Amino acid sequence: MIENARSLNIAASVILLAGMLYILGPLYLTLATASQSYEFLLRNGLAWYPGDQFFNNAARIFTETRIPIQMLNSLAVAFSLAIATCILSFLSAYAIVYFRIRWAGVAFALILATIMLPVDIRVITTYQVASNVFSPVNALLYVTGLNGLIAKAFGAPVQLELSVLNTHFGLIAPLVAHGTGTFLFRQFFLTLPKDLFKAARMDGAGPVRFMFDILLPLSRTSFAALFVLTFLSGWTQYLWPLVASSTPDMQTAVVGLARLLPDSDGEVPDFPMIMAGAVIVSLVPLLMIALLQRYLVQGLVLSEK
Amino acid sequence: MNAIDTAIRAAAASITVKDLTKAYDPQTVVIPPMDVELKAGEFTVVLGPSGCGKSTLLQMIAGLERVSSGKILIGTREVQDLEPKHRGCAMVFQNYALYPHMTVFENMAYSLKVSGTPKAERAERVAAVARMLGLADYLHRKPGQLSGGQRQRVAIGRAIVREPAVLLFDEPLSNLDAQLRHDMRVELADLHRRIGATTVFVTHDQVEAMTLADRILILNKGRIEQFDTPKAIYHNPASVFVAKFIGAPPMNILPVTGDGAALRLADGQVVANASLTGTYQLGIRPEDIVVDGKANGHAVRAALRFREDLGSHSVLAADLGGSIVRIATPFGSDIADRLELDLNFPTSRLHLFDAATGRAIPGAFGAQ
Repeated sequence: MIENARSLNIAASVILLAGMLYILGPLYLTLATASQSYEFLLRNGLAWYPGDQFFNNAARIFTETRIPIQMLNSLAVAFSLAIATCILSFLSAYAIVYFRIRWAGVAFALILATIMLPVDIRVITTYQVASNVFSPVNALLYVTGLNGLIAKAFGAPVQLELSVLNTHFGLIAPLVAHGTGTFLFRQFFLTLPKDLFKAARMDGAGPVRFMFDILLPLSRTSFAALFVLTFLSGWTQYLWPLVASSTPDMQTAVVGLARLLPDSDGEVPDFPMIMAGAVIVSLVPLLMIALLQRYLVQGLVLSEK
Repeated sequence: MNAIDTAIRAAAASITVKDLTKAYDPQTVVIPPMDVELKAGEFTVVLGPSGCGKSTLLQMIAGLERVSSGKILIGTREVQDLEPKHRGCAMVFQNYALYPHMTVFENMAYSLKVSGTPKAERAERVAAVARMLGLADYLHRKPGQLSGGQRQRVAIGRAIVREPAVLLFDEPLSNLDAQLRHDMRVELADLHRRIGATTVFVTHDQVEAMTLADRILILNKGRIEQFDTPKAIYHNPASVFVAKFIGAPPMNILPVTGDGAALRLADGQVVANASLTGTYQLGIRPEDIVVDGKANGHAVRAALRFREDLGSHSVLAADLGGSIVRIATPFGSDIADRLELDLNFPTSRLHLFDAATGRAIPGAFGAQ
């Protein structure tokens, strides 16, 4: 429905403006505060106009905090997450769409269910597993009674231990298991002509060859879109890195930013420096979107070229 | 004739199908046991309504569907358990199934690349096929930049560049508009005359079947209704199904009863003399009905319902004893505006079918 009433236009504009203020206001506050000195903050509170101290504050982020190394962590986590998610999603969608698997429907439903179960919901159990990746195996051995037999035969039950907490792998792995990518690729594959696979078989290409020669080149834009989305979500993850990493050198930049707030009460936080840090940490995803936004749109509308 | 023509002619092999069946489960039998032999170099059209199993048959020959039981021989080689690439078949798909990200050249050369043909030979063979199909100027375009007919030609080129023993077409013309379909039909017939590949062409369009085929294989619910030349199928249909499927408008089928001396319509009018008793189905083609003629002395009276002028001729629909008969007559005849018609069914043009099985009864009116 398209309405042309003038009063409606004005009302819509007002709502839009309010929304923009709501989003841009805090952003402006961040930038303004980041460019003021700590002394200014102590005297006046949060800044409503910009100052000239931004590069000072930014330099202090690099010299006085662990943010630089934490940004490297973030980069490693976001990159690995994006790449691992792309590969896993592509392969699982390929299997679901192109092969006659008996339980394909059930498998796809389970994969979709992970979209409704983000890390934030399953954080406690995920933590338990991350603290000992063999805990499900141990539990299975106990429940099935196998461990009783093993204890009788060898004198002691099996109890495997391997913690991935506070490692990069531990930061990444639980986030990879997410169905959005599989869904994205599945939808894309379904838009391709059904006979493509058969044509490739007639041409002598097996499933692997078909995947590399035909499916992969066609999926370029979907890959780019998924890569950007996952990279962003990996970069901005807060809860899981907070829980899974215990030393500052293993934490990600977003967690590191939060940790810049002083632990003791009464002390005024160095907001100009923290805000400068926030600006610096935001630059990477901003750059990412700026460079790849074309693919982001193309990939999400699911059309070739 | 250049090198690729001779190579394909030499590679052409016969297809023999023995006791072939296909069933997805015991309840859904797509193809009951089938035996058929397609000769080397022959253009066979597999014709049938949708769901008759014609595509399944084609895909089993190609190796894209597993056979439930039975054998498929290409030449003298049993192929039913081989991978598609080892069967020597090439296929043209309904929606072309070209690789969208590859150029025309890459599309046609892909099978050669997969089979490890040296680069120079690949280029040479693709160039020869492209010349033959008039695609030489388009080799560097992508399929998205081509028209429907050009894409179709690329798909054909991709199939014949491998010099296959058997060329399979899965309703390749159904995506084209009427004019282009006609042009492609002519092109395909011409191509087959030049390269002489064993061709199996699946379609539900009887015009394609009549114009392209050396022999037509008519399928109904997976069973072979008739396998013969287009001419034989048109003039001597083996069953009511074939009679109704071939020809536009289709053959008229009327229920008749024989009293030992004559065949009578449902309303008692005598349509022909015959020493038959019992109920039958009588078939006559619309163009064989004579209006106001005295061909066998038995004129039957029918009420004209409507007429369609097609320019070259008119099609009349008339009510004859409760069933509608269609009559094709030359345009401009004065019979069109009359309400009552006297129709004559020349005995030599009549086809008689068994009422229960629908199979033709040859020789019912003497020599056919």
